[in-house]
Amino acid sequence: MTELACRKCKFISLNSTVCKNCGSTELTKEWYGYLIIIDPEKSEVAKKLGVKIPGKYALKVG
Amino acid sequence: MNRFFAIKTTANQERVVANLMEMAVKKYELGVYSILAPKELKGYVIVEAEKMEDLLKAIRGLPHVKGVVKGEVNFSEIEHFLTPRKAAEQIKEGFTVEIISGPFKGELAVVKRVDEAKNEITVELIEAVVPIPVTVKADHVRVVDKKEEEV
Repeated sequence: MTELACRKCKFISLNSTVCKNCGSTELTKEWYGYLIIIDPEKSEVAKKLGVKIPGKYALKVG
Repeated sequence: MNRFFAIKTTANQERVVANLMEMAVKKYELGVYSILAPKELKGYVIVEAEKMEDLLKAIRGLPHVKGVVKGEVNFSEIEHFLTPRKAAEQIKEGFTVEIISGPFKGELAVVKRVDEAKNEITVELIEAVVPIPVTVKADHVRVVDKKEEEV
């Protein structure tokens, strides 16, 4: 089970070679910090980061 | 208005706790909106929730949770975790740095080139007889002197 983060949107995809959020193939296993957005409409963190899709994100990508 | 709380977890289990919390939140439809586990904050998870009760319900019975930190966390206190600056952005050419890991650990060096995209810097060791450029990760150095010399 590998968790790969997208270099563009920082979305973490599980066992996939393409980002499940933006479709990019630029994935990396070098990422740090973990963020789970459950409700992007109500979350201030999501607003700050401009996240609109719930899911798991990396804070910093390698 | 959302509030932020910190929970204490077993070190290196922050992600596990965050994942388990997410499942609990979805299962019981709790007012928890985001869960943050910054790399810099070992043993803690920051939770954005509507109220304390929702948070307590979300962590009830979870393994690796050691407790809830008293009081709230201000948004301003966690803001810097959300937009981490690359280490290379804070280093300029001419800076004197100390290498803090790798084979040259403890050596002082002068920065010759900064590659922000790769987060790497090229340095020349001060004490070396012949100047040899060495490329290291920007996270592996500590800035000693910020004086920008002529390169």
